[in-house]
Amino acid sequence: MESGSELSQALSDLNESRIYSLVEKKLANNEDPLAIIKECNDGMIRIGQLFADQTYFISELMFSAEIFKNVMAKISPLIDGGELVDQNADLVVIGTVKGDIHDIGKNIVVNLLKGTGFNVVDLGVDVPAEVFVKNIQETGAKVVGLSALLNVTFGEMKNVVDSISKAGLKEKVKIIIGGAPCNEKVREFCGADYYAKDASEGVFICKRIYSQAEAVA
Amino acid sequence: MTEEKERLFEERLARYQATISLESTDRMPIGATGSNYFAEVYAGYSNQEIMYDSDKWIDAHIKFANDFPEVDVLRAGKIWAPLYDALGCNLYKLPGRDLPPDAQFQYVEMERMKADEYDMLIHKPVEFFMERYLPRTFTEFEDRGSIRSYIAFLKGGVGFMMRGAIYRRISETLKNECGMPIPFQGAFLAPFDFLADGLRGLNGIMIDLYRQPEKIIEACDSLISQTVRGALANADPLCRYPIFVPLHRGNTPFLSPKQFEEFYWPSLKKTLEQLIEAGYTVRAYLEGDWSQNWRHFRELPRGTVVCDIDTQGDIFKASEDLGGWQCLAGGLPDSTLILGMPKDIKFRVRGLCETVAKDGGFMITGGCAFPYDTKPENFRAYVDAVMEYGHYSDHVNMQMKSSAPSAKGILGAQTPAITPWETKKKEIGEIMGDEQLIKKSWEMLESVAYNWLWAWTW
Repeated sequence: MESGSELSQALSDLNESRIYSLVEKKLANNEDPLAIIKECNDGMIRIGQLFADQTYFISELMFSAEIFKNVMAKISPLIDGGELVDQNADLVVIGTVKGDIHDIGKNIVVNLLKGTGFNVVDLGVDVPAEVFVKNIQETGAKVVGLSALLNVTFGEMKNVVDSISKAGLKEKVKIIIGGAPCNEKVREFCGADYYAKDASEGVFICKRIYSQAEAVA
Repeated sequence: MTEEKERLFEERLARYQATISLESTDRMPIGATGSNYFAEVYAGYSNQEIMYDSDKWIDAHIKFANDFPEVDVLRAGKIWAPLYDALGCNLYKLPGRDLPPDAQFQYVEMERMKADEYDMLIHKPVEFFMERYLPRTFTEFEDRGSIRSYIAFLKGGVGFMMRGAIYRRISETLKNECGMPIPFQGAFLAPFDFLADGLRGLNGIMIDLYRQPEKIIEACDSLISQTVRGALANADPLCRYPIFVPLHRGNTPFLSPKQFEEFYWPSLKKTLEQLIEAGYTVRAYLEGDWSQNWRHFRELPRGTVVCDIDTQGDIFKASEDLGGWQCLAGGLPDSTLILGMPKDIKFRVRGLCETVAKDGGFMITGGCAFPYDTKPENFRAYVDAVMEYGHYSDHVNMQMKSSAPSAKGILGAQTPAITPWETKKKEIGEIMGDEQLIKKSWEMLESVAYNWLWAWTW
C-alpha cells in the first residue's frame, strides 16, 4: 500500500503519542489546519482499506476514531467558524431505523465516512421514515444509509424505502442498508439499492455512487 | 405430574442430552434453542405483558408447548421487568416502558466502569460495585443513604429471589403439565464479555486493548473464580441441563484472531474447563461470525460444549471444523424464517439433514434463536421437515442422565463473605450454643449477597 505523509502513516499505524506530537509540531509551525485534516483523511482511508483486507478489525477502527476525535478537538478552534468539513464535500445521510436504538455500527461507519472526507448528517437512532425523507430533501444527499441491529426492523427498512419512493426521491438518492441481520435477501425485501456487509464496504459504495454521479454530470 | 408427562419429559431430555454428548438418538431434537423469541409472542401477549406479568409468561409457554408437541425443550424469555424497575436498572430499554409494548428489549451501551478502575475491580470488587458500578447502573441508588435508596436495595433483594421463584415455577410447570424440559439452567459471561458488556462498554474495551492491554488480561484472570461460582450457584443440582454462556465479542470483526487468542480465550477456556470438571455441559452461543475462532472448542473434551452457530457463521464450515467433536446448533437463517416461505424452510431443513446433520450431534434452529418475527407457518414447516428428514433410528435406548456435581470440580467454589464470620462472631461475643449452626447460615446469606452484587452487568 502506498505510504503517505508521516502523519498519515502514524495514524494508520495507530501510534497515538506520535500522532499527537506531529500535530502539535505542525500547529506550532502554523501549518494549514485543513491540510493537517487532509493528511488524517489519508490515514483513515488506509485504515479503511486495512479493515477491508482483514488486517485491521473493529478495535483498530474504534481506536482510530478516538485518536481522530482528539486531533479534531485540537484543530477545530483554529478554523474559521469551527467548520471541520468542507460543506461541498460529498454528503451521506445516515441513521438507525425506528424501533432500533443500537448505534455502534452506525457510529463506526460515520467515523470512517467523516475520516475519509465525507460530510455526514447523522440522524441518530430510532429514526422515523419521515425524518429520513425530510433530510434527504433538505440536503440533496445522493446517499442514505439505514442501519439496524435487530431482525425485527426489516419491515421498517421497507417502510423507509417506500416513503422515499412516495416522496419522489427514489431516482435521486441511493439507499444502502447495513447491520448484523442484513443480507441480500433483506435488501431485496425492502427495496434498497445496496447492502453493505461492513463499514469499509459501506464507505466504498458511497465513494462509487458519488464518482458515478460526477461522471454523469 | 402424570406418568405420561413424566415419560415424555424423560424421553425429551434424554434425546437432548444424548445429542449434546454425540450419542445415538432416535431423531434430531426439535425447537431446541435456548432463545425461542417466537414462542414468547406466539400466544398473542405483548412483549410488555410477557415481561411484567408472570402468569401470562407461563401461559405463553404452555400454549406454545401444547400447539407444538414435537418440540423437545423450551425457553421463551428471560426478563422479569419489575426487578429492573425496583432498582432503576438502566441496562435495558424495555417494551411498554421506554419502548412500544411490542418492541424488542434493547441493551443500553454505557461506560459504567471507568478506565482507571481496573485495580479496584480486581482487588476490591465489593467496593467497586457498591461505590462505583451500582450507583451508575441503578438510578434508585443515585441518592445513596436516602430512605429510597435503602428500600430500592431491599426490593432488589426480594425481587431477585422472586425472579428465581418465577424461573423455577416456569420449569416445574413445563415439566409437570407439558412433560417439557428447559434447555439450560444457570448462566455466565466470558470474563472478557463481562468487562466489555456492562462494565467498560464496547468503546471503552476497544480503547483499553491499546492503552492498557495488561489490565484486561489481569482482570479477565481475576474474574474466572467468580464466573465459575456464579454459574454453579444457579446451575441444576442434578447436572441434567447445560449451563448457558452467550459469547458476545469473541467473533470477527470485533476482535482479530490474535486478539481473541490473547485476550478472550484463555480465561474463557479455564472457566469452561472448571464447569465441565464439575460435571456440567455448557451451551455456548457463538454470536456473530466465529469461523476464525471456533476451532478452539476442540481443546475441550468431546461432547461437552454445544456450539450455537449464528446466522453470520457458515454452518457447513462449522460442521467441517467441529462436527463429530462438539454438538452444533443452527443452520436456519433468520431472514428465511422471517421473510421466506414454508417451501424454503423445508428445502433448507432437508439439505441440512442430508449433510451436516446426517450423523447426529446437530440441532437445526435459527441463529442462536428463533426470531420474534418468525412466520408461524414457517415454524410449522420447520417442525414437519425435521420430523420427516431428521429421523435416525428406531432402535436406540436413550436414558436421561442425572447426577450430583463432582465434588472435585466444585472445590474452591466457596463464595467470599462480604463481612466474614470472624468479624460477626467478635460482635456477638460469647456464643452460647452451636456456633456452626449460626456460622453456616451467616455465610450462606453472605454468599447470596455477594453473588447479587455481581448480577447486574448484563
